[in-house]
Amino acid sequence: MTRILDIQNLSTHIELSHSVVQAVGDVSLHIGAGETLGLVGESGCGKSITGLSIMGLLPPGGKVVEGSIKLEGRELIGMPESEMRKIRGNDIAMIFQDSSSSLNPTKTIGDQVAEPVRLHRGGSKKEAVDRAIEVLELVGVPRAKERLADYPHQLSGGLRQRVMIAIALTCDPKVLIADEPTTALDVTIQAQILMLLDGLKDRFGMSILLITHDMGVVAGRADRVNVMYAGRMVEATDTKEIFSHMRHPYTQGLLASIPRMDQDNSRTLFSIPGIPPDLTSPPQGCRFAPRCGFVQADCRLNEPHLSGDDSHVAACFHPVTDGLLRPEMMVSVSHGRVLKEENTSEIPLLEIKDLVKTFPVTSGAILRRKVGKVHAVSGVSLTVRSGEIFGLVGESGCGKSTLGRMIVGLERPDSGEVLLEGEDVFSLRRRELARKRRDLQMMFQDPYGSLDPRMRVAAILKEPLSIQGMDSRKEQEARSLELMREVGLPSKALERFPHEFSGGQRQRIGLARALTLSPKLIVADEPVSALDVSIRSQVLNLMKRLQVSHDMAYLVISHDLAVVKYLADRIGVMYLGKLVEVALGEDLYAHPAHPYTQGLINTIPLPDPDIERNKDKDVISGELPSPIRPPSGCRFRTRCPRAQDICAQEEPQLKDFGRLHQAACHFPLIDPLEGVGVSLKKSAM
Amino acid sequence: MAGYLLRRFVTSVVVIIGISMVAFAMLHLISSSPGRAVLGLHASPKAVAAFNKANGYDDPIVIQYWHYFLQLLQGNLGYSYKLNQPVTSVLGENVLRSLYLSGVSLVLAITIAIPLGIYQAVKRNRLGDYVVTSGAFTLYSMPSFFLGLLLIQAFALSLKLFPPEASQSVSVIGVIEDPRAMFLPILNLVAIQVAGYSQYMRSSALDGLGQDYIRLARAKGLSQRAVLSGHLLRNSVLPMITLIGLSVPALLAGNLLIETLFNYPGLGLMFFNALQNEDYPILLSYTLIAGVLTVAGNFIADVAITIADPRVRLS
Repeated sequence: MTRILDIQNLSTHIELSHSVVQAVGDVSLHIGAGETLGLVGESGCGKSITGLSIMGLLPPGGKVVEGSIKLEGRELIGMPESEMRKIRGNDIAMIFQDSSSSLNPTKTIGDQVAEPVRLHRGGSKKEAVDRAIEVLELVGVPRAKERLADYPHQLSGGLRQRVMIAIALTCDPKVLIADEPTTALDVTIQAQILMLLDGLKDRFGMSILLITHDMGVVAGRADRVNVMYAGRMVEATDTKEIFSHMRHPYTQGLLASIPRMDQDNSRTLFSIPGIPPDLTSPPQGCRFAPRCGFVQADCRLNEPHLSGDDSHVAACFHPVTDGLLRPEMMVSVSHGRVLKEENTSEIPLLEIKDLVKTFPVTSGAILRRKVGKVHAVSGVSLTVRSGEIFGLVGESGCGKSTLGRMIVGLERPDSGEVLLEGEDVFSLRRRELARKRRDLQMMFQDPYGSLDPRMRVAAILKEPLSIQGMDSRKEQEARSLELMREVGLPSKALERFPHEFSGGQRQRIGLARALTLSPKLIVADEPVSALDVSIRSQVLNLMKRLQVSHDMAYLVISHDLAVVKYLADRIGVMYLGKLVEVALGEDLYAHPAHPYTQGLINTIPLPDPDIERNKDKDVISGELPSPIRPPSGCRFRTRCPRAQDICAQEEPQLKDFGRLHQAACHFPLIDPLEGVGVSLKKSAM
Repeated sequence: MAGYLLRRFVTSVVVIIGISMVAFAMLHLISSSPGRAVLGLHASPKAVAAFNKANGYDDPIVIQYWHYFLQLLQGNLGYSYKLNQPVTSVLGENVLRSLYLSGVSLVLAITIAIPLGIYQAVKRNRLGDYVVTSGAFTLYSMPSFFLGLLLIQAFALSLKLFPPEASQSVSVIGVIEDPRAMFLPILNLVAIQVAGYSQYMRSSALDGLGQDYIRLARAKGLSQRAVLSGHLLRNSVLPMITLIGLSVPALLAGNLLIETLFNYPGLGLMFFNALQNEDYPILLSYTLIAGVLTVAGNFIADVAITIADPRVRLS
């Protein structure tokens, strides 16, 4: 295959005020015509900097110090800026992760799409606009002509991403660099965008450099995969090969760290210990050696270079040969915990009944008038028993976080009850409520934003105890030391500030803080979404272990069905403010009753090329309707393949589909249980 | 949008009326007997009472305000007994002269500060940036009259390039026709404003340069100039608009010192003299003008933001 893009021994450094980050070191890769190359790695591995080096768009202080980048034989390194500008957006185009910040908020999308046309193709303004309409239609923007005068903020996230792809396509680039093109999107929209990229590639014979952290995304569409770690290329081969016969221990560990939908969740998830090295002073020898399970003396002395045959290279002295680590092959500790049998007489730890929360939509600057309501949560009931992990999944805007905030009392519901051990939290008086808060704690998504940057860890951990007037100073100190040991941080870390920790360590502090008061329930809102795969599995394992040792219950909120499936005993699926299905994790995955659940399961990219390539291409179409005017009847009907007239007229009620399995659908995928007491049982759920 | 602007306008008028009430009430507290102030300390209490009665100053304050308000509606700001002429005619050309001085220097300051700030952001932490920042900080931290004294010493007394005094012409046309005389006061005001605005623009442009849409604009193959003028400028100027709107009344206060220093007959000098004479009707009018300028500055900034930022325009 002819090499469209050929990178040899690329090294890129970023100069900071007092140090130099060796972001990319000695990286070689090539892309053939019409080929999709997946460039995979965790944050800070240098994959994005590699992409930006190709474009010549490095951040301030960034500089290619060595190597060559050739586009169809033309050297791009050292090319004068005026020449390079003719290549950018013309021969090589790039799309970025976040379409909400990548489009200029003060220019119409028509102007933004037409801009590169006039720049590279010349011609009249009218011709540029015509071309803009053409590409916008091509990327699936409905009624493109009417959208030209719209501004980015008027479009949904999915449409904005399509506009950004349209900008990249206007000049028929030979190479498209897609840097995390779907990371900021919901899974159903992600599936649509990935299919769009596939289709465009086939149609125009572009080559795509797909930069992502998500092994599932590359599994389905990359021809070859290159894996980066700490600025180095560690392995490169065919997609099928990398998932089944990887040679580098990092690749093996990375794949094993991803929770899988079909995984036995009583087993510990594989995790790579430690964190990636600091690239301002990378270690001698193999950069993965400090975290590698197969490390030997020579790994720490000399650095391995890529070796192997043409089709498969890896940078390792002691390559692995045992293929994908399946959980059942790993030495793992069973959690030894099964969900307690249903006991209806027992008062559940948490019971929420018909919770409703709306937020007013106002208009006008001074005289604020209510013009509508955002229906965030519309009548959700569920129970969590003590010692249980309940998972709540749904896409952004489905109301899952609002529900979580109401449960811990950070938000007051419009109507409905939150019962903690049978007592309504919102009818409690202030002092009783403060006392109750000991039992209800929250763990937040953003480990950077949720810890006070000016408090030392010791103060963060003692604060809840002081607020509750618990323990003497000495006891508080002992308690914080104990908590640090439990979450696996050294005791001297107590004297440090949050910014001195990595993301994973900060999330451990967040967990320790939630544990301080020995709560009965922790609401964890997207606890691992901000973390890299190898760090994520460490935190997931820790959460599971502590749940057992403290006999707590979790309510885990996440957009990631695989994470929830791994953690939770039971899973609730939310869509646009409604709970559409609740079931045991296994049942939900094996026999979903609601078409939305089925769609969600289908659209999650799995790190397995065999499954991904043969997947049903029926993704959930369309976008989430506005929560200000939710559809009548079943709220999912506008996107549902099975929808009929009755779905618009009548709202489906939760029906029983088996033990602990309920779904609200007029035309479910499996047959409901016939019989009595459906409505009675509903309130018991 | 029209509805929004109309509402915004109506609230502005309400606020101005409120300001007039508060200012009137405060003045009433300070000097409830204008007769004494006008007739002097030696006048008999009887004469003072007669004066107050004749001019309606013995009515309840609400009635007095109502009369004042009705006069305001007709554009009558009261009568200065100290200067023995209506306040409007005292203000007359003073307002226009001050407007000329502030307006010209504000426009010049913005035209210089915006490109300068962008230049600094692009040259961040390099020599050009350091030089401009040092200059800006020096000017910013310097009292305006001190800079004025330096300018007079250098350009008027030593080099004799410009006169040390601003134009004394009674009419604005006369002032406009004498740019040499206005050079130093305008330079003084411009320098001090550029020092502040350019640093603000620098940080706003730095923010902008770090945005993803600037990276995407570069990825399209646009030149640096096209990126800066086509994508950075409008977004970075947005925060400046509010700042400029808020600083309009501050200009008036700044003028007080500059006008006194260069002996320029504007509002500042008028206020300064009225303070010394305890000329309350003029002080009341000055307060009202300051209030109107504050509200108007905000209103204009809001309108400008609405035009410049589509996110505000359409939501």
